[in-house]
Amino acid sequence: MALSSPSGGVRRARQLLHVSVLAQSASPCGRFLAAANDFGEIAIFGLSAALSAEAKEENRRAVAVVRAHNGPVYSLASTERLLLSGSDGEIRAWSWAELGRKGCRELWTRRPPCRSSLEVPEINGLEVNQRHELRGHQDLVHVVALREQLPQVLSGGEDGTVRLWDLRTGAQVQLIEVHKYQECSRPQLGKWIRCLATESDWMVCGGGPALTLWHLRSGTPTTVFGLAQPQHHALFHQDLVLSGGVGPALHLLQLSGDVRGKVPVTPAALRSLCLHPRSPEHQVLTVAGNSPKIDVFTNLGYRAFSLSFT
Amino acid sequence: MTPGAVTAPSIATTAGPSAAPLCHHRHRRRGPVPRGARGSPARPPRAARPPPAGSGPSSRRLPLHGRRSRRLHCGKLTSLAAAAAPPAPALAAMGAVTDDEVIRKRLLIDGDGAGDDRRINLLVKSFIKWCNSGSQEEGYTQYQRMLSTLSQCEFSMGKTLLVYDMNLREMENYEKIYKDIENSIAAAHEKISECKKQILQAKRIRKNRQEYDALAKVIQHHPDRHETLKQLEALGKELQNLSHIKENVEDKLELRRKQFHVLLSTIHELQQTLENDEKLSEAEESQETQMEAEAKQ
Repeated sequence: MALSSPSGGVRRARQLLHVSVLAQSASPCGRFLAAANDFGEIAIFGLSAALSAEAKEENRRAVAVVRAHNGPVYSLASTERLLLSGSDGEIRAWSWAELGRKGCRELWTRRPPCRSSLEVPEINGLEVNQRHELRGHQDLVHVVALREQLPQVLSGGEDGTVRLWDLRTGAQVQLIEVHKYQECSRPQLGKWIRCLATESDWMVCGGGPALTLWHLRSGTPTTVFGLAQPQHHALFHQDLVLSGGVGPALHLLQLSGDVRGKVPVTPAALRSLCLHPRSPEHQVLTVAGNSPKIDVFTNLGYRAFSLSFT
Repeated sequence: MTPGAVTAPSIATTAGPSAAPLCHHRHRRRGPVPRGARGSPARPPRAARPPPAGSGPSSRRLPLHGRRSRRLHCGKLTSLAAAAAPPAPALAAMGAVTDDEVIRKRLLIDGDGAGDDRRINLLVKSFIKWCNSGSQEEGYTQYQRMLSTLSQCEFSMGKTLLVYDMNLREMENYEKIYKDIENSIAAAHEKISECKKQILQAKRIRKNRQEYDALAKVIQHHPDRHETLKQLEALGKELQNLSHIKENVEDKLELRRKQFHVLLSTIHELQQTLENDEKLSEAEESQETQMEAEAKQ
């Protein structure tokens, strides 16, 4: 893994065959995409350039590749000026303004206490003045999501529970044990919760149990989406739920449970979905997973082109 | 004249429109010349003609023709003569190149296939000739011819002006159409963005409907509230009834108990009284016997 330069060479080519992109994040200005892989590198892509009418082949390659961590980078989050990357037990912050230049150093590094692997949620999870230790999960926490209208955080983990925490007091507000519900549990796959997304009163979560839409106020599962494979990432988008997981397809699901589409993608399994709002009516979706290629969708029905990690 | 007539058009076609003035003159006489490609072998004889200009005047026109052609086309035809030297196929190609330049120059100067310029020059020349001529009838015919040439010039000028006007109006028309199309493009853009907004709204509505449906499905699993309320009411009534009955029964029980109590206490009293009475009577009897015993002593 100790490579001197991120470009060129047979070794690099071989390494690229094994790259998995684990997380993506959009820049605050909307022109760049940061993608992190399991070798500890973060690649910056010029998304506006690649989407413009006269994009050429070199626009589809990374503008810069940064050696961020020694271990896999599991998650990325963006604020106005910073890009946070989370890896084994440490979080590093990078300035968006400097990421494109050579020799970029991180702004700071923090080590949250007693964690083995880390997921970085939306940025506010780490505001210094409001840190609480949210104790409760029995096992790994896989995914964290912020609720928009209430100051709450949802977290889902290996122990199969989704917990809601209040951000002001740090107390657990609600506990949903997903695997205890008959409709969605799949004991043959396990009870881990890997993907979580929330919007107003609704939440979609999945992983070992089937992807289900939950109503948070009553804590009841309303629709079970019949996807055979475990899902790794899900998003709410307009009136759809987008989800990707094991299997080379992006699923477009309606809240009523109908599968509106299953779009083939390049990676063999999807790990991360990222939406870039370019205008209120038009959004661009980038999906990435077990492949050095990141697919870009301008229209949700088909793949427009691919960016490649170099 | 006939050989010249035959060769000139053919030369015109092979030499391209550069020989247009030549055949134009002929056009007025013989109709449009078919501008098909004729054989270039016709070229050398014609190219050889101009140098002996003015020679062999078979008709009146030919010397004029020849002179005019010499004056106006000498540059071009000398190049043609020079071009006559190379072999025929290359000749056609090279001639076309130089002809193009000449055509361009001609068109720039004349505009109408070089007919008017020639006509005006001819008019001037014939006027000078007429001024210098002596005889009456020749002068008269010349004069008539000049008038006709003049009217032809005027006619062609009028035609050009009309064409110019027409072009201006066509341009305006096209400008108008262009603006209309631009406006409709802008309107279409507007409509597209409106429709996109409507799509967003419709998607939101659909999402709300689906959320509602999802919750409704869950709610349907639970029993109906009215029925439960009714059952609750019925149960409550039953409960009341039963408690009523219980009260009644308890009252009755109390009453009976009290009655029994009264009865029992009366019985006891009676018993007591009877016992008392017995005791009293015993006591009296014992006292009597005692008194008797005492009296006997």
